[in-house]
Amino acid sequence: PPETHAAAWARTRSGPAPVTDVAKLCVCDLLVAQCDVNCCCDPDCSAADFSLFTTCSVPIVTGDSRLCSQKAAIYSLDVEANPPERIFKLIDQVNPSVFCIHATNYKQAVSFSSPEMPTSENFDQLLERFGSATFSTEPDSWNMDTDAQNPFDANETYRYEYGVPIQTVDAFLRLPSPVVSSWCSDANPAGFLVNQATKCTRSVSVEKCDNIQAVSMLFYINSSILAVNITVQSVVVQSLNGMRTLLNGSDVLRLPVILDELCINIVLGVSYHITYTDAGEIIEAAASFVLGAINKEALSIQQSFEISFTQVNTKPVPLSGNPGYVVGLPIRAGFRPQGYPFPVEILFAALVLNTNKYSQLTILQSTSNQDCLAAQGARTPILFGYNMISGCKLRITAAMKCQPLTQTLLDLLKGQSFPEYVASFGNSQTQDVLDWVPITHLHTSEQRIYTTFQSSCQIPVSLEIEVKWTKYGSLVNPQARIVNVTATITTTTLKQLPSGRERTIPVTSSVVFTDISSPAEPGYKAWPTINAKLPFDFFFPFV
Amino acid sequence: LSSVPLQILFYVNGIYYIFYFLATLAMIVYKSQVFSYPDDFLAPDLALLFIMAILEVLQLYLGSKGNLTEEEAPLGLSLVITVGSVILSVYFLVWQTYVLKADVIINAVLLFTYGLESVLKVIAIAAFVS
Repeated sequence: PPETHAAAWARTRSGPAPVTDVAKLCVCDLLVAQCDVNCCCDPDCSAADFSLFTTCSVPIVTGDSRLCSQKAAIYSLDVEANPPERIFKLIDQVNPSVFCIHATNYKQAVSFSSPEMPTSENFDQLLERFGSATFSTEPDSWNMDTDAQNPFDANETYRYEYGVPIQTVDAFLRLPSPVVSSWCSDANPAGFLVNQATKCTRSVSVEKCDNIQAVSMLFYINSSILAVNITVQSVVVQSLNGMRTLLNGSDVLRLPVILDELCINIVLGVSYHITYTDAGEIIEAAASFVLGAINKEALSIQQSFEISFTQVNTKPVPLSGNPGYVVGLPIRAGFRPQGYPFPVEILFAALVLNTNKYSQLTILQSTSNQDCLAAQGARTPILFGYNMISGCKLRITAAMKCQPLTQTLLDLLKGQSFPEYVASFGNSQTQDVLDWVPITHLHTSEQRIYTTFQSSCQIPVSLEIEVKWTKYGSLVNPQARIVNVTATITTTTLKQLPSGRERTIPVTSSVVFTDISSPAEPGYKAWPTINAKLPFDFFFPFV
Repeated sequence: LSSVPLQILFYVNGIYYIFYFLATLAMIVYKSQVFSYPDDFLAPDLALLFIMAILEVLQLYLGSKGNLTEEEAPLGLSLVITVGSVILSVYFLVWQTYVLKADVIINAVLLFTYGLESVLKVIAIAAFVS
């Protein structure tokens, strides 16, 4: 009959009964029907095997040691006897502590519970209880946390935190990136304020190019970031030989189209620019495309993707620290724009910043052949905290005149656009004039001037920039702040050379960072004063 | 005449019960930290302990009053309440979720005290009635 069959099947499906008899429990008995080495409790071992053991790996088997009295099986080897034999003792172990468990009325306390075997009846219920990543052992107190996705209201603005994936109407904003191999995977979500740039390979073919979604512009601007549509900022068309042209009128959506054995308007690169407010909302999203063409032999193309975030109403200038300078980031410098001679003027236009990170405060970069004139223009940016020294050798012939030589050396030492102001904090805004420190220029001469006979030529041979910085802010998180920048030019006399002779002079430039922070003084609160005033008639009868 | 041994026993019982209450409460806290003590087992144990405290206070007050005023009614009521306290003490001795050896010891002492007290109460009631 089907009932008993089902019952029998349910019975056989239950797990094996747990072994609780300490005399029969053996954890070192791993091999079935074979004797385990040094396992004194193994029932498969004979007396001859025991005589070969050296020690017992399991000397005692007990139940829960917190019980007041429990059975214990003790196994030991009697090495005195010849041959060595195993001794097995079954004793009652007594826990001397006064807090030992005398009795318990809660079955699960001192034994493991057998898990329920899933059958077709209780499977759904078991899946509900244990199907998630965590579950509690007490089913009565377990409450289902419904973590259902809250449906988005397109009208309400969504505030993002750093790293949170950017939501679009159906899923997340995707930035295809290579995973494991270099093939593109579309599952990489873009995180808020995480600037990313990825390159990956995608397989294409000319015949199917209008069917492949990932090479058409529509795929990348289709999903709108909640309330904000993705606009097309610019479109650059790259021809087969690599030449790129910027198109005017970038509102047109160009879809891949097959034209004379070529497939044109294939997306080769997308660059997203997201504008956000300081409350964490995204207000604008723009995408710039690079479209290209493939021919019949092309089997795969490389696509590059980029995403960058700018705060609304600010220019995207890379910061060198927030707020103090971070060691290793370049020092930010700039110029005062023309027409503003009074630095204390409040109506001050923003300082013109050199937004190219690597052409701000720079020093001469040494080259391998050390010839000053050969490597003109090679400059390296000054990074905060890194003292640098560089130099080159200048060959002077008799024919060189003083004034042009001085100018060449000055250009060499200072570079084309030596800035006038240096930002005192890594995140100084150009509008805050007082946050910028002017560069002080000094001139010294190498030789002491003995005579008034000064018709000889003074040429600059060394530029030393000294940046004095201090620790600013709290004691546990001090921020670096530049206080003073001094550029010292050292000149030396150029002696007239007899014609035909040459001289080589070394030209050096160096940057030194000095920490002028005064040691922190702890500030203590004033001792509280005891203000105890007795009423004036306290000592009434006597005073 | 009031029974002096009964009065002494009430006094000793009061002091011992304060110790018993604090010790049992501390041990329940210890058990909940060291062992697995789910809420539906912990709540009845704590509730019964507090009920036992209330019953004990009532029993000692009524018994003392009855003994000193030589009236049998409060003493009889106290005897009835003692029965309830005995049952609760047996619960803590046998049916508690975790019975430690210390629980066994203090409950045994309490039961012995109750037994002695009940005997003396019966004798006192008999003396007052007649």
